[in-house]
Amino acid sequence: MANRKLFCEVVSPERIVYSGEADMVVAHGIEGELGIMPQHIPIVTPLEIGELRVKNDDGQVYIAACGGYLEFRDDKLTVLADAAEVSSQIDVARAEAKRLEREKEVAEAKASGEKLLEAEISLRKALLRLRVAQRD
Amino acid sequence: MSKARKVLSRIKSVQSTRQITKTMEMVAAAKIKRAQTRIESARPYALKMIDVLHNVSQYVGSGSHPLLEVHENIENVVIVPITSNRGLCGAFNMNILRQSEALFRKEREQGRNVSFVGVGRKGVSYLRFAGYSLLASYIEFTDNPTFTDAKLVTDRLIEMYQEGTIDKVYIVFNHFKSVMEQKPTIHQLLPIRREEIEGEADNEANKILKAKYEFEPEAELVLFELLPRYVETVVLRALMESVASEYAARRAAMKAATDNAGEMIENLTRWYNRARQAQITQEIAEIVGGANALQEA
Repeated sequence: MANRKLFCEVVSPERIVYSGEADMVVAHGIEGELGIMPQHIPIVTPLEIGELRVKNDDGQVYIAACGGYLEFRDDKLTVLADAAEVSSQIDVARAEAKRLEREKEVAEAKASGEKLLEAEISLRKALLRLRVAQRD
Repeated sequence: MSKARKVLSRIKSVQSTRQITKTMEMVAAAKIKRAQTRIESARPYALKMIDVLHNVSQYVGSGSHPLLEVHENIENVVIVPITSNRGLCGAFNMNILRQSEALFRKEREQGRNVSFVGVGRKGVSYLRFAGYSLLASYIEFTDNPTFTDAKLVTDRLIEMYQEGTIDKVYIVFNHFKSVMEQKPTIHQLLPIRREEIEGEADNEANKILKAKYEFEPEAELVLFELLPRYVETVVLRALMESVASEYAARRAAMKAATDNAGEMIENLTRWYNRARQAQITQEIAEIVGGANALQEA
């Protein structure tokens, strides 16, 4: 059992972000965090804007996943993310700049009372990317 | 001689035109490749999406989602022609618009109201000029269409469809078959056709698999979230195919233009040489004639 693996694939509309074997994947579903190991029951769930942790032989891979879906079946895990990035691909400086920009937007939205929700979601995505980037 | 000089300057001008068309041809050829790679890399997402939809839709009864539901009285139809922002690509845009207009007439004959949502500068300005009713227009997409672009187009349509203000949506786009062939294609976007997402009939193996699936939250909710996203994926794909097709069409058009320019230069050069020859002959004849006249005198 110990060496049984699951195959994990993370795809965004533009490309395949990550694909490889894993011992366990931890994701943020909309109903809470869930960890999936090989032989998990088939499952489908929407995802939050959150971090995806893929544990494999080389340690852990962190992926910033913004929304989307997770499907698991026959030891194959598929994440259909609206946008996703592996931590090593994120430029910390750029992520930081984006965060500041988004924070300003939220402040503006609060002042004007318009598009607050959109601005907050953007900020959450920016924060997530930054946090994931700093994992490395 | 002034005619010959005109021809000479015309040859020069055609030559510089040929240089431009030749460059455009090569640029387009390079861009096709990139656009094609983009389509390729978007394919896994679309395939997985359909895969998940197949599984989920089998749990949920028919007509349980507004985007799957066929409206009883079809009164308002929307056509979304996807065109390019720039010209010089042969019949690329015209094909799309002609197909859209044919569709427009067909729907009109059945007594339906038809309006357009224009994507691409060329299409929008044509539709506006021809006086069709435009619900919305999008002319700011680049040649690297993103998910956000697709969402921009679909959000409003989905909303209107759910409200019942529109009953059917078609997209018309150039399907990128190969570098040599692009096919204008009409695709029904809404309501989503059941057979598109349901896949092959349930066989025994499928049923066993089905029984084991777990949903978080319920299957209906998952489907609710998935379907709009599916529509976005379809539109994104259409946008990407359209970009690749545009470059392929432009490459073909520019190749034809380059060839034509070459032919033209050849003909003009031939004419010019002949005229020059004729003039020299005539001059010689005049000199000889003059010399003879002098001798006789």
